[in-house]
Amino acid sequence: MTRLAQAIVVGLGNGSIYALLALGFVIIYKATSVISFAQPSIMVAGAMLTYLFGHVVGLGFFPALALAAAATAVLALVVERTALRPMVGKPVFVVAIITIGVDVVIRVVVNRFIGLDVRPVDNPWGLSTTTFGGVIVQQRHIAMLLTTAVLVAALSLFFKYSRVGLAMRAAALDQETAQAQGVSVGMVFALSWAIAGALAAVAGAFVGTGTGIEGSTWTVALKALPAIILGGLDSVPGAVVGGILIGVVEALVATYQGSYFPWLGANFSVVSPYLVMLLVLLVRPYGLFGTPEVERV
Amino acid sequence: MATTRWRMLAILMLVLSLVATACGGGDDDADTDGDGGDGGGSAVGVTDDPCPNAVNADNGCIYLGIISDLTEGPFRALAVPLTDAQKAFWARVNNDGGIGGYDIDVETHIKDNKYIPETHKQVFEEIRGDVLGLAQTLGSPQTAAIIQDLRDDSIVAAPASWTSAWEFEDVIIESGTNYCMEMANAVDWYAEEQAAPTKVMAIHYPGDYGDDAAAGARLAAERIGAEFVDHPTQPGQENQSGAVAAIVQEKPDLVVVTTGPTELATIVGGAASQGFTGKVIGSSPTWNPALLQTAAAPALKAMYFQAGPWGPWGTESAGHAALREAFPDTTPNDGYVAGWVWQYPLKAALEKAVEDGNLTREGLLEAVKTLETVDYEGMLPEEAGNYAGEPADAVFRQSVVSQVDDTQPTGVNVVADFFTGPTAEGMAFDKPCFEA
Amino acid sequence: MSATTHAPELGELGGRRVRGRPELYTSYRQDQALLNTAPKRAGVTALFLAGVVLPFLVGNDMVLLLATAAAAAIGAIGLNIVTGMAGQVSLGHAFFVGVGAFTAATLAGDPDSSRHIGFGLDMLLWLPGAAVVAGAFGALVSPLAVRLRGLYLAIVTLGLVFLGEHAFKELKDLTGGVGVGRPGPEAVVLGVDLTEPSTLLGLTLTRHVKLYLLMLVLLAVCAVLGRNVGRSALGRAFSAVRDRDIAAAVIGVPLTKYKVLAFTISSAFAGVSGALLYTIIGHIEPSSFNLLMSIRFIAMILIGGIATVSGAIMGAVFITMLPRMSQFLVRELPFLSGGQLLDQHQIEAVLYGLLIIGFLVFEPRGLFGVWLRVRNYWKGWPFSY
Repeated sequence: MTRLAQAIVVGLGNGSIYALLALGFVIIYKATSVISFAQPSIMVAGAMLTYLFGHVVGLGFFPALALAAAATAVLALVVERTALRPMVGKPVFVVAIITIGVDVVIRVVVNRFIGLDVRPVDNPWGLSTTTFGGVIVQQRHIAMLLTTAVLVAALSLFFKYSRVGLAMRAAALDQETAQAQGVSVGMVFALSWAIAGALAAVAGAFVGTGTGIEGSTWTVALKALPAIILGGLDSVPGAVVGGILIGVVEALVATYQGSYFPWLGANFSVVSPYLVMLLVLLVRPYGLFGTPEVERV
Repeated sequence: MATTRWRMLAILMLVLSLVATACGGGDDDADTDGDGGDGGGSAVGVTDDPCPNAVNADNGCIYLGIISDLTEGPFRALAVPLTDAQKAFWARVNNDGGIGGYDIDVETHIKDNKYIPETHKQVFEEIRGDVLGLAQTLGSPQTAAIIQDLRDDSIVAAPASWTSAWEFEDVIIESGTNYCMEMANAVDWYAEEQAAPTKVMAIHYPGDYGDDAAAGARLAAERIGAEFVDHPTQPGQENQSGAVAAIVQEKPDLVVVTTGPTELATIVGGAASQGFTGKVIGSSPTWNPALLQTAAAPALKAMYFQAGPWGPWGTESAGHAALREAFPDTTPNDGYVAGWVWQYPLKAALEKAVEDGNLTREGLLEAVKTLETVDYEGMLPEEAGNYAGEPADAVFRQSVVSQVDDTQPTGVNVVADFFTGPTAEGMAFDKPCFEA
Repeated sequence: MSATTHAPELGELGGRRVRGRPELYTSYRQDQALLNTAPKRAGVTALFLAGVVLPFLVGNDMVLLLATAAAAAIGAIGLNIVTGMAGQVSLGHAFFVGVGAFTAATLAGDPDSSRHIGFGLDMLLWLPGAAVVAGAFGALVSPLAVRLRGLYLAIVTLGLVFLGEHAFKELKDLTGGVGVGRPGPEAVVLGVDLTEPSTLLGLTLTRHVKLYLLMLVLLAVCAVLGRNVGRSALGRAFSAVRDRDIAAAVIGVPLTKYKVLAFTISSAFAGVSGALLYTIIGHIEPSSFNLLMSIRFIAMILIGGIATVSGAIMGAVFITMLPRMSQFLVRELPFLSGGQLLDQHQIEAVLYGLLIIGFLVFEPRGLFGVWLRVRNYWKGWPFSY
């Protein structure tokens, strides 16, 4: 029982990171109908900036995180303005390939700054733990979960009640109509990228809270892909649920697969999210919360 | 429309062939076959003209190639210092007058393989006709993709990994022991000097790197009568929860880890926070001194030992001192040490080939096959440079063990100097460990 | 897609040629024929001849790249069938390439090896074998496409790549395992090694040149096959499914059947491509068949120009040559490498990304679009407005 609880707790922690990343993908998708493959590199850039503000400049974790998120949002804005704005209305897969080009460029430059060493992200929790009824919980996992909850709540309120949030929802629903109503669709695109960039930065910083970041940290962001599909590409709550679910599934498989299904091979947990995604989609082709496409003949 | 497509293809091919010719003509001239001379010298990759930016303007030039993981690949953090150290190594040789009237150039033909075998093969082909040998070929599957070409052209190459497979290749001149014996020695040492473990667990990447070390640990565990648990893991800090869970559940008293640095810290820190109190030994590429600035530092200090094929950056030897002198202002990293050490046998072979009056690829390979000792300037014992006999006789079985010491430049300090444990001593070694 | 605008309402001529009007088609069959005009015939012949001559003009390294491009082009033609013609975006291509590569390596492998399973078969068997096994996996996976659409399908097929990579890593008897791998298949036909260096009419045919020529011939065969898929009933059904699947179903095109067929055929091409790619490289390692490889194939058909065989070939050549081009640019334009920030290799990598971005921003229709611009300029010359 403790083992089960232990696995779920780890899964919730990692899952909250995946959820933040998935949110970024979904927000960009809703605004522009594009999956941005540049998110992994933007995430590492954010983590690197957190290291810079936190460890080198010596600000505390949260100020460093806020600054890094803001700076990463600006980076995402620049990317959107230079590489993606000219592509409005072009086929989405062409745009997706462009984001891959962007990813290569940012990743190489960030790698240059990461250099040879592991870069520690200073934070208040380290690897300290707290025990709840026999279950050992890493404090940073609690912090991740809380931060994600706060961010998701804030975003929901923003989308629901603010004028800009409303404009973003309108543009996601129908760009032309939104434009006719005076919504600046260009601003919506830019803002979506900025929000996604900031979310990725927070996720990246939290990845680094354990043992720092290095050149290969970007691969974490790929875990968000099954999460967004599982939740439904255009669903904000779906991204959160998908991310958490992927984290938990992964942790459960990591804990139990060795004992029960050893023939699946070592490290099956790493690919298990994709299997779950596959199975769920066979039943629900638009994910758990995605909007089914309405076909008019 | 269909017409135009084909016509367009024609034009494109024409343009590309022009680009291709231009690219081909840029630095390597038409001779890429491997049997002609380059610029009036006597053999491929050897010229009577001085090197570009030569130290000794009167000397000829020997070109050596480097194929490494320089920009995006997973081993970039190791590969970049390796490559820099090798440049410095040969700069020092040149400053001392070169070898037999030749300077050695390793700067002209440096290529990035991005750790992709396909790319490795392609960039190797670009420099194949221009170099006498390779000062570095990084990656096992990558090197495997060109090994037949190396054999065909008798190109001698220094590897950039310690897998036990290299003992079985004539054209590859490895230095130091392999991951397998390194770990067997470390486990033997631990059983002898610290405490005899009853349960040893190996956490490792799959493949020639991790499997090799795990095989060594398993043999040692069997010899000392300890239970052995094998747990392969994947790269990525977020993927280590399974490894941590396995340690917590199995409660081994010794864990050997063969991963990358952040994975090591995640595993050790995570296991310690859940009550693990045993000891941990890591393979050489698993360590990075910056880990001592992370949250896992206390756990690492308390329980970590570092197996290694030779002493770290701060070791006292003529070779180490020369290396430190070459990098006075650099953040120390044991990647530099590895890159530097791997060049000594190549230098010895070049000297021998010059002595034999046969400075060609064949002459160099011949020289390698007769090398029985190499002067490592104290970084390794001379007998480590034995390339003459059968693999089982020539293989170098000694390694060192270090412990965490944050006063040292790379965070570790040797506690057991070169030794061969009984397990490594007894290995038949008729094929690479990971194949057993 | 055709030149029917030249030939309205000529059914009464019943397929006969009209003297002096070579581009006048009097039947659908003529219109859809392969190489139905003199310029096309001349163009393709010239192109093929240029392809044959090319390896003797460039360095060995370039020959190897061209051979790789030719083998990759076969895979791109395959991806074009499922994605370009039938409209099912697949990010799973690397998986099928891998299946083909390992099937071929296993069939061709050394039967005495203690490490890998091998059957020591001839290329005449392993090449079709790679196609069949990869095609079978394609058929197995295709039900997903029946159920899913658009980006959902793309990401799910991407999942296939991850699951496949895991399987490749685990099946060590077949694949050699991570970081180790196994030797690629060898091009031996009826006991003759096609890549053995030899001389012909005084020309030295190195291993690379022979490999390249082999790839060129096989590419030509596959290009004709791919084109034939496009101009047959099969291709028309694919287009119908792509353009409006509901409408296609209404006019009696069975969706499931054609989606399954598209995946099967595409995967078979991928299998052949994989087998050939690793004949060239000589060593297969399981982690090569990853997301990046799938993306490279998608980039090939997008950059080449979607839904055309020649576009796929151009795209494959472009993407394979791209690292070389950025290397070339860095070398020839010294101001690019002047900075302190990045070293030469980093600039090359950055330039690779920038070239992809720049190219697609400039011309989202790909190389095909570039051609349209060029053609339209000269077609109207000197009235280029």
